[in-house]
Amino acid sequence: VAAVSLDFSWIVEPVYLHWLMQGTVTTLSLSAFGLFLTLLIGITGAICLHFKIPVLTTAVTVLVELARNTPSLVQLFFLYFILSETGFHFTDVKTGRDIPIFSGFMCCVLMLGFYNGAIAVDIIRSGLLAVPRETVEATKSLGYTRWQTFIYVELPISLRLTIPLMANNIVMLIKTSSQAALVAVADLMYSATQIVMENFKSFEVMVVVWAMYITIVSGVVGIIGEIEKFVKMPGYNA
Amino acid sequence: VNKSNTEVRSFLFGMFAVSATLFIVFAFSYGKKTPIAIVTLFSMSSSLLTGAPAYQSLGGGFSANIIISLWAMVLSTIGGFLLGGGLLSKNDLVRKLCRLLMNFLRNSPWLVILYAMLYLIPFEIVVFKKFFELSPAIKAVIGLSLPISANIAEVFRAGIDSIQKGQWDATTSLGYTRKQALYGIILPQALPLMIPGIMTVYASLFIGTSLVVITGTNDVLSVAKVIIASGADDYATAIYIFVLFLFFAYAFPIAMTSRWLERRVRSNR
Repeated sequence: VAAVSLDFSWIVEPVYLHWLMQGTVTTLSLSAFGLFLTLLIGITGAICLHFKIPVLTTAVTVLVELARNTPSLVQLFFLYFILSETGFHFTDVKTGRDIPIFSGFMCCVLMLGFYNGAIAVDIIRSGLLAVPRETVEATKSLGYTRWQTFIYVELPISLRLTIPLMANNIVMLIKTSSQAALVAVADLMYSATQIVMENFKSFEVMVVVWAMYITIVSGVVGIIGEIEKFVKMPGYNA
Repeated sequence: VNKSNTEVRSFLFGMFAVSATLFIVFAFSYGKKTPIAIVTLFSMSSSLLTGAPAYQSLGGGFSANIIISLWAMVLSTIGGFLLGGGLLSKNDLVRKLCRLLMNFLRNSPWLVILYAMLYLIPFEIVVFKKFFELSPAIKAVIGLSLPISANIAEVFRAGIDSIQKGQWDATTSLGYTRKQALYGIILPQALPLMIPGIMTVYASLFIGTSLVVITGTNDVLSVAKVIIASGADDYATAIYIFVLFLFFAYAFPIAMTSRWLERRVRSNR
């Protein structure tokens, strides 16, 4: 049995460090844009379902089932292929170069919004269902309109109650963002494969990137935990 | 009777509506060429489904995804129950190590675990002086099973936790050992509660098999990529829509069954 020896000396090389840093920044911004879109889609979809808006309710139900029961990777390939075919682009004023609007990065953000947004719709809706009926009735007796009740009472309570579920969803979003590497977006995963191609320290590089993802995810989980404590409703045990 | 009727109806509606949506996207992107695209897709369907050009054999394409998911299901269920058992251990060290391992696996991207396993597991192993080749498919199974085991362990723990503490106390007063209590009293009650959660995990496992494309197995995405690269560029949209449909047709019934079971379990309590 050959002794397993791991060699991490490559990590101090400026080129690799630079790639890892750049990859981390890309992964974080992918996740941030993806999260924004996820919440936007989640809340909009939940509004459609909650107010039982005709046609839109059906559309949201169908799209949620489609998004949740198909692989995010196939969704990404599909978007990447179709949207890059459309050839929409804008011209950079400074350099005069044509830049496609639907780059790999953009497609990945859209995929994250679609996939995790669908999960967010279900999560927010479950929160809306968990708001006690007495609370809603109280707003009625205070003369709130249905929309005011939703915006000032139901939605905020729902978002607060579902923070643990949403945290899971966000963790999943960050993990899913690693699939961006497969459409050549230079995220953390992609820099890992690039470094492996140069120094062949395949396992060591993966261990480092693995640890970096764990660090990012743990950090985000910690931040969400703090937010949860901060917005906790005292005495509210629904 | 009435309730199960509405459930069947919502299942059929989901199947039909999602298929129709995919078809509308299909027709929209091909316009007048839709019939040609359908015929072309039909001629490729054997490769995409079985990996063989005329349904001669199984083991490639979409069937590879199903086979990999079944093996990973077996492996991750065993692993998940072991890890879940470790989470309940009385030994502080074992419990903490298991929790650390579970959180570690749950917070890692599947793609990274798959890559790491690809590099970590050797190409062949020697058992009793015989060489066993470890194919990419086996590595894919192992790589997928690891994070799935952690998810199953979590469901296992939640299932055990949902049994009232009084049950444990009662077994203690009757002189059961901890092990006897777990196997004889607690698990039989907790298992039905775990089944919906475990099925949800299985559905996500099945969807996750799309990731094995990176390991170089002959799975449906690899086949699709090969077909597209070998001159079927114009039909890439059609092929991806077909692949989306395949995954949906397999994962949606599992997801619906798990939801149905969950409602049943809840109403029985």
